[in-house]
Amino acid sequence: MTGAGTAIWGVGTSAFGKQTSLGGPRLAWQATVEALDDAGLQASDIEAVYAGTVFGDPGTVTRCLQQIGIVEVPVITIENACASGTSAFHEARESVEMGRYERVLAFGIETMTAHFDGAISPIASDPDGAQGYAMPSIYGMSATRYKYEFGVTDEQMAEVAVKNRRHAMGNPRAQHHKTVTVEQVLGSRMVADPITLFQCCSIADAAAAAVIGPLGGSQDPRGEVVIRSSALRSGRLWDHTTDKVWGWDIVADTAARAYDDAGVSVGDIDVFEVHDAFTIGEIITTEALGLCELGEGGRLVESGHTSLGGLQPVNPSGGLLSRGHPLGATGLAQIAEIVWQLRDMAADRQVPGARLGAVETMGGGTAGIDGNACVVTVLEQVG
Amino acid sequence: MTSLTTTPPERAGADPRPELAIHEGRVLLTGSRCGDCGYPQAINPPRCPICGSHAIATATFGPKGTVFSSTVLRIPVPDRTPPFTLAYVDVDEGPRILAHVDGPDEALVPGSEVVLSGWSEHGDPVVRRSGP
Ligand SMILES: [Zn+2]
Repeated sequence: MTGAGTAIWGVGTSAFGKQTSLGGPRLAWQATVEALDDAGLQASDIEAVYAGTVFGDPGTVTRCLQQIGIVEVPVITIENACASGTSAFHEARESVEMGRYERVLAFGIETMTAHFDGAISPIASDPDGAQGYAMPSIYGMSATRYKYEFGVTDEQMAEVAVKNRRHAMGNPRAQHHKTVTVEQVLGSRMVADPITLFQCCSIADAAAAAVIGPLGGSQDPRGEVVIRSSALRSGRLWDHTTDKVWGWDIVADTAARAYDDAGVSVGDIDVFEVHDAFTIGEIITTEALGLCELGEGGRLVESGHTSLGGLQPVNPSGGLLSRGHPLGATGLAQIAEIVWQLRDMAADRQVPGARLGAVETMGGGTAGIDGNACVVTVLEQVG
Repeated sequence: MTSLTTTPPERAGADPRPELAIHEGRVLLTGSRCGDCGYPQAINPPRCPICGSHAIATATFGPKGTVFSSTVLRIPVPDRTPPFTLAYVDVDEGPRILAHVDGPDEALVPGSEVVLSGWSEHGDPVVRRSGP
């Protein structure tokens, strides 16, 4: 099947929220069984598993999948920070593309509430983490820089949270089902100046999965979604030579590769799921994806271009700001959302007529580099 | 609020943080510079990440620098009491490092001039505003 193309045959996710008592395996079963059913496959059909998890205990993925019958196959676990789930997706797609397997499970899971009460603890072995540098600080610094350099306003940043929480009202699997106003967002507790609490994603427990195989090879090819391209890379060095905020170039570089491989330009894409772990992150990412010029991301969200009903909706699911961010599961939940959008199954949050969609996930936590990993994938409706 | 001491802390062998040292009364950053392309780093690796050169020489940088950006972290993190101010500082002729900021709990404006000043009670590098 090499060269004929690769498709997503089925997707599934658990609900997203603080659900410590469910434990990893139950979350995994919800996501995986839904994805298998969606693909019309049995567990015994799966030839290989690529999985993403960050804080999971050793053996997490096999512990989650064995009792539903995914056994006697290669199970490869990938840690790539926030992009772990999409990195697993990327490798799963690559393995089908190269003809190595024909029925592959891409899987992601994180049980955050088992490890943290609030923000993720800084990494003690990292030059920045050892200084007590929690993740909100990097985004606080990006926001400080954007206010200074481009005049991005607190209200524009808050608008990202307002938009995504509004979108999530149509997503029954999101953690947060309550709209917020700009005033509420800016009035919430300060976390890392100028980022307030409602501008930070919550932690969550969840799993998500996708079944990947050759294009046209499933029982119901009309339900397949074509993977036009997928790009994965680590960042450049992030040092004194750059005035770009952290994470800008890695997203731009990865997106350029993904668009090029798919033969599309950003204007062709109808709907995006992007990494909005913090409001300023979505502003930076929309710029780096080419939806607007450098420094224009604040005005872009304010214009309504990226809202449902706008020309190119971003995060119709409500994004990480509404789902919460279970690291390993996040990327595959983004994939699932775009698959549902392209199949016209997204109900109250549907982007009408969406044919081409893109997913972007970016993960960090390592000092001195412009992101540990970024994945951008371009997906297309069949037919 | 970040405390400040000018007594060098004991460094554990694998402490990954930028290393400061006092030279003739000035606090300087210890690191390396590539002998071929001049690339400065706060660490001393065996190869230059830019040009691949093996000619990496120990170097010191500072004490002055310029703030790239800054924030005040106001949530609890293990072993530290919030709030505390952080900044990415481009040390003059040297690398960009993260440092704690001695002063009020207020983010520094990008472009502010700072000077390497010592260590926090936890042994973190500390800068202080020096210019306007
Ligand atoms: Zn060099």
